[in-house]
Amino acid sequence: MAKYDVVIVGGGPGGSYAAKTAAELGLKTIFFERGRNPGEKNASGCGLGQRWWRDFPQIMKKITKLHSYREIHFCYFKITDENDNLITTISTAKTKRDDERIMFEGKGYGMTGTSIYRSDLDPLLANLASDAGAELRTSTLIADLVKKGDRACGVVTEGGEIIEADIVIGADGAHSTVAIAAGIRKRWDKEKVTLVPQLDFSCDEQRMDDVLGNAELVWFGPYCGAYQVNFRDGFHLGLGQWMDKWDTKPVDMIKRILKIPAFQAMSRALNAQMREYQVHLLPWMPCPGKTYGNGVLLIGDAGGFPCPLEAEGIWHACISGEIAAKLAAEAISKGDVSESFLSEYERRWKQSALGREYQYGTEFVNLWKNSAFDPEFMKKMVLFLAEFQSLNFPSPIFDWSDDHMKAFNDHLGHFIDLLPELGDFARKNIVPLGKGISAENREKISALVANALKAKLPRIIPDRLVEWIVSKYLG
Amino acid sequence: MGNKDQEQSDIVKININQLVFRIEAKDPGDFISYDETKCNGCNGCVMVCSANLWSLAENKKARLAPKYKELCMECAACHEICESDAIVFKYPSGGSGIIIKHG
Repeated sequence: MAKYDVVIVGGGPGGSYAAKTAAELGLKTIFFERGRNPGEKNASGCGLGQRWWRDFPQIMKKITKLHSYREIHFCYFKITDENDNLITTISTAKTKRDDERIMFEGKGYGMTGTSIYRSDLDPLLANLASDAGAELRTSTLIADLVKKGDRACGVVTEGGEIIEADIVIGADGAHSTVAIAAGIRKRWDKEKVTLVPQLDFSCDEQRMDDVLGNAELVWFGPYCGAYQVNFRDGFHLGLGQWMDKWDTKPVDMIKRILKIPAFQAMSRALNAQMREYQVHLLPWMPCPGKTYGNGVLLIGDAGGFPCPLEAEGIWHACISGEIAAKLAAEAISKGDVSESFLSEYERRWKQSALGREYQYGTEFVNLWKNSAFDPEFMKKMVLFLAEFQSLNFPSPIFDWSDDHMKAFNDHLGHFIDLLPELGDFARKNIVPLGKGISAENREKISALVANALKAKLPRIIPDRLVEWIVSKYLG
Repeated sequence: MGNKDQEQSDIVKININQLVFRIEAKDPGDFISYDETKCNGCNGCVMVCSANLWSLAENKKARLAPKYKELCMECAACHEICESDAIVFKYPSGGSGIIIKHG
């Protein structure tokens, strides 16, 4: 019977990063992967956020050399209506100032994301863990926990082999055997988990460079918003829905996007060929629930860590894995692996950069549940976005239907007519996010409005009243 | 139907069997257990399954396709959606089942 300090179930990014951290701290570490190789069983979007350049720059240097790597600078929202017509494109922006928010070796990465296939990324991370001294066992399914009383003290393989350990880290994804066996949950509440069907397309690399360049796409219309993650010579098209609202077949859901003529035109331009169908569960909730048990720590998707705004999960898996491994080392050196000591894990991730992700978790999740994931609402939303863009540069200049001020007023009138419909949504889902505006920016806005009011209404309203009203309005 | 219409309808066809890859060399074992007596006929498993492995039988109980081991996509959605605990999903044996080549 083998005995380890830490056993980690799952060889995805979180499991590998936890294994690397644990091994570097001198713990006798083993991690298990049910596939023949890490990355063989995993599907995700799969984009890495800019933070990777801040938190894992040495790994990013290696990632840029992997085959499927594509650097991402922009995201284009392709807005389509009920009849699948493309009605506008809304884009993110990129400036030097954005880039400088994250600097590495003299280069700015602030507006740079990364697309990388999991079949490339997962083996790289697993190798880093192995290099650090962690033992990797592949083609091995963990069937259950081994317990002494209520405390987990190891795992048992499907073949019946027992591997003892002081602490078990569950890195086994959304449907986590460790979480179930530890009694942390039987399954997710339906409003906390989504199901995500996804198609992979192969593409001509040169055409991807020429047609899409360094961009991701979002297809945004009266269907559940679909992401298109672009790799070096292929792309993922995926979308999903929370399980409590599930009302269609996964394959039919994704066909909805294939019908869009603008999608078809793009596919022809890229010489895109459907290559693979994948489907996975994705926990998506305001804040992770219980992430520890007696002898057990949960990380990544197993803990429910994906970002509540856009469900990025790999950074969260690695950071939670690092925090869990460090706490495991402390617990073992103190000789206290009790549940009460391990509850410190929750306090630590909540206080870290990871914890800040969930500060506005409820508002972030509601924003999507009530918009992109509500097809009926999206019928109104796309009209609103179209009118919004019609008022926005360069639309007023290129509308030559009449004299420009008349055309502008027509659009403004339509926009104002749509406002009451969208007002309720904005009050419930956008306004609550106002509390996230920093104190510094509050003061700037306050001064701006106060000055404007004072200029218009010099003697009528006293300065102090104006300042009071503005600060009251901003909460 | 004109050529263009034919082309358009071809684009939206998804033939899952041609788009899923598997390890043939190893038996995945029995990894879904189903207790019909617990089934409340809610149809959830039927709706979430990409591979159409679940159907509602005449007795209004779910029925699992006998060949599920060869067709399952390993997403575990059937376990997640079944609140009557009729479905327990364990993963296929290590080193068997689907391969996601471009995940």
